[in-house]
Amino acid sequence: MIKFSNVCFAYEKTNILDNINFSINKGEFVAIVGRNGAGKTTLMKLFNGLLKPTSGNVNIANLDTKISKTSELAKHVGFLFQNPDRQICQNTVKAEIAFGLKCVLTDKGEIEKRCKDTMARFGLIGEKDPFSLSRGERQKVALASIIALSPKILVLDEPTTGLDYKECMHIMEIINELNQNGTTVIMVCHDMELVADFAQRVIVLGEGNILADASCKKVMVDADVLRSASLAPPQIAELAIRLGEDFEGILTLDEMTDKIESRCLS
Amino acid sequence: MKGILEYSQGETIIHKLNPLTKMILAFLLCLSSFVSNNILMAVVIIALNIIIAYMANITKKALLLLSTLLKIGVVLFLFQIFFIRTGNIILSLPLNLYITDMGLEFSILLVLRLAGATMPLVLMITVTRMSDLTNVFVQKLHIPYKYTFAFITALRFIPIFENEMNGIIEAQTARGVEFDTKNPIKKIKLVLPLCVPLLISSVKRIEGGAISAELRGFNVRQKNSGYKKYYFNIFDYLVILLSVLMLFVSFVVA
Repeated sequence: MIKFSNVCFAYEKTNILDNINFSINKGEFVAIVGRNGAGKTTLMKLFNGLLKPTSGNVNIANLDTKISKTSELAKHVGFLFQNPDRQICQNTVKAEIAFGLKCVLTDKGEIEKRCKDTMARFGLIGEKDPFSLSRGERQKVALASIIALSPKILVLDEPTTGLDYKECMHIMEIINELNQNGTTVIMVCHDMELVADFAQRVIVLGEGNILADASCKKVMVDADVLRSASLAPPQIAELAIRLGEDFEGILTLDEMTDKIESRCLS
Repeated sequence: MKGILEYSQGETIIHKLNPLTKMILAFLLCLSSFVSNNILMAVVIIALNIIIAYMANITKKALLLLSTLLKIGVVLFLFQIFFIRTGNIILSLPLNLYITDMGLEFSILLVLRLAGATMPLVLMITVTRMSDLTNVFVQKLHIPYKYTFAFITALRFIPIFENEMNGIIEAQTARGVEFDTKNPIKKIKLVLPLCVPLLISSVKRIEGGAISAELRGFNVRQKNSGYKKYYFNIFDYLVILLSVLMLFVSFVVA
């Protein structure tokens, strides 16, 4: 579904990404992690053609991003930015959700239906002014306006920045549900707990290169990779490593509880 | 035009000039451009701007600015050329439209004047640190710090707003709004709804800036003084002399 082949990207003379190769299959939940300045946001912008590779090819749903317009790619790729205020431009929540739909659909009945469904799914009130909502609510509106387009691929650039735990979990549960229903999710995130909870695969970026591309369980216990990318594993994973081989690969609280219970019973 | 008003770092002779000299140079070049009513003189002023940009190592930026100004100039030119009806007709068109020699000359002059007058001001901002400009306003021109701060902040916000607008356009393109269209009229139509997020983020930024200035004791400042002193050297006097000479020549030619 997504294929990066020998992708390099440079801003003027500065190399940001160097020979990036990977493929992402339909329905995967991939997290892209790395320290600030590693090239994560640049990589994300290559997914929908906001940036074109200096060399190499990016193929999204059989479309070459070098020749396809971003507005065309938007039918396949939903992109949620870190700052929802750059996305919101309408006076009501309903108009905001309808705004993106009007760009790709002409059937008014279908637009109305999708608006209603999306608002119900996210628990949003259509008449409210989006700019008077809390940061978390605004992020939800921005996400809702993307989900309404039913993209096959969802690209999220730090979707939980500035949100409290409850808002963060609400957003992540919606994203997870979409992923369960077949949407491919690619997420840049600094919160390793969230990555461990939701991502199946992790791509670690460092100095414009891929340092690791493996399952979440493998990456979270690879101390060398994490150190070179200035990352720390989730606390529960670190505890599991310290407890020894028997606990290896545990990333979540549920897994730890199950393990301890099974050990106690045996 | 991206980043056109942002400070370009450098150690060139132009960068090292006293900020007041740079202001005088920009102001007199701008004035010369308005004073001259000769196409050749207007071209010379533009060429001088390019030479200054070359000396400051910002030729690419200056040429980009010039091309943008000329693009705006084309619109002005088309309006102006049909509005001036005096002079000898050199080309007759349908719908009682015609182009006269005076109209053509004045329209070309207008476009060149626009470029010649705008370029020095923009280039001056590009090669001068805002903090230096503020200090010079206060120390040498004795303008109250409050007004200087407001003026400089307004200037500083232009590239910030430009970046913000680019971010907003990116976000809207990513959701399917056709900003990547080649049709300029369609593009203008699409930009209008974006004024809302830009206005909101601008007000938020300004409010944030005002609060942080107050928290850092903005109103406590009593004296119009500064840590850095700005002296004039031989090059400064030379540049001022050349600027005055340029204005004088423009007067003479006019």
